[in-house]
Amino acid sequence: MFNQFFGNYLFSNGHITKEQLLPALARQSKAMMHVSTLALYSGYMSAQEIQHVIELQEEEGKKFSELAIKYGYLTQHQVMELLNTKAPDFLILGQILINDGVFTYAELENILTDYRSQAEFLDFELNDENRNDFHRLVEDFSIISEAAIPEFGKSYLELLFNNFVRYIGDDFSTLPPSLCTEFATECCVSQTIEGHYVVNTYFNMDEATALAFAERYSGEPYHEVDEYVMASIEDLLNLHNGLFIVNASNDSLNELSIGVIGHHPNTIINFENVTYLFPICYPFGIIYFIMEIISL
Amino acid sequence: MSIDEGKVLICDDSILARKQIKDIISIVGNPTILEASDGEGAIEMYKAHKPDLVFLDIVMPKKDGNIAIEEIMAYDKDAVIIIVSSVGTHSQLKCALEAGATDFIQKPINKIQIIDALNKYLGR
Repeated sequence: MFNQFFGNYLFSNGHITKEQLLPALARQSKAMMHVSTLALYSGYMSAQEIQHVIELQEEEGKKFSELAIKYGYLTQHQVMELLNTKAPDFLILGQILINDGVFTYAELENILTDYRSQAEFLDFELNDENRNDFHRLVEDFSIISEAAIPEFGKSYLELLFNNFVRYIGDDFSTLPPSLCTEFATECCVSQTIEGHYVVNTYFNMDEATALAFAERYSGEPYHEVDEYVMASIEDLLNLHNGLFIVNASNDSLNELSIGVIGHHPNTIINFENVTYLFPICYPFGIIYFIMEIISL
Repeated sequence: MSIDEGKVLICDDSILARKQIKDIISIVGNPTILEASDGEGAIEMYKAHKPDLVFLDIVMPKKDGNIAIEEIMAYDKDAVIIIVSSVGTHSQLKCALEAGATDFIQKPINKIQIIDALNKYLGR
């Protein structure tokens, strides 16, 4: 299952607030997994058993794994296996939220059970097929929004998430989209897609996010928001829209085209048409993707 | 002609895309590099310097890539123009080739394709 949607799942289902989620996402890359959480996820221990070992730790002052072996909850072999297993990103998010006291182990156990059944996944590691299969998730994602997202919008988002994974990294989490009538921009670029429908697409982010975004996209370090940083944002929007219209043109007889990149630094944009705001949260900041439907 | 003796015009409104192409070119040689950030600039630059090879984007301000190809080909029917664009639709491809483009490279920029083009058109 994708971490990208775990944050969205937690938020949408009322398990956490945005104020709890965003700092947790920011610490994701530095978080250490605990054997207890890995044991819970792998099914070797229940939340109740973990709680018991934590209480024993307070009494005996020994390591969790040592006590779990001593009291027969884990074998030495299982501890070694857990220590050598790479935790999926979404579990790291779960670990941070436990550390922050947002969840107890019992709550995380219930959430993981529910999340797993919704996602119909059983494997610990993702395979490439799963990783690229965003379709159903985008369907679920779009249902949450306040207004139905048009069909092409779903294909667009599916490709967008894939391109974020490919060019920026898979450590993002989506928040539910919302409708938007005006937006205060910072580092903002746009591009129009035109054909049998017309949409304006935007990327917006603050300066610190733009720097980190550009570093990931181009692989070069940046210290200030210069033309290369802005070009990185433009490039991904242009590349993504280009790939989208190639796919859309291959799938139908309707030809689409894209316009030149527009720039909207530090201004207020008023939207006169139905406009969706999609927050995409990375550890380094939030990228806002905006889609304004001009005509269908 | 060797790659180092050649002149290459890179035309893209993205400074990052131009830099990426320049960085790739520097791997295989040191030709004279010319740059333009829009179609109009590409035409002017071509007429002023007559480069041996042009890497040209399609979606650009002030005359798009297709118009730039037509005007460059009208000026020099032997111009070698490689489209480097994210817009690789069938009709776009057809349009560019009919206008006189020699080849089409789909973005994201692929190092091997750029080097192949350099070897093919400059390393002769």
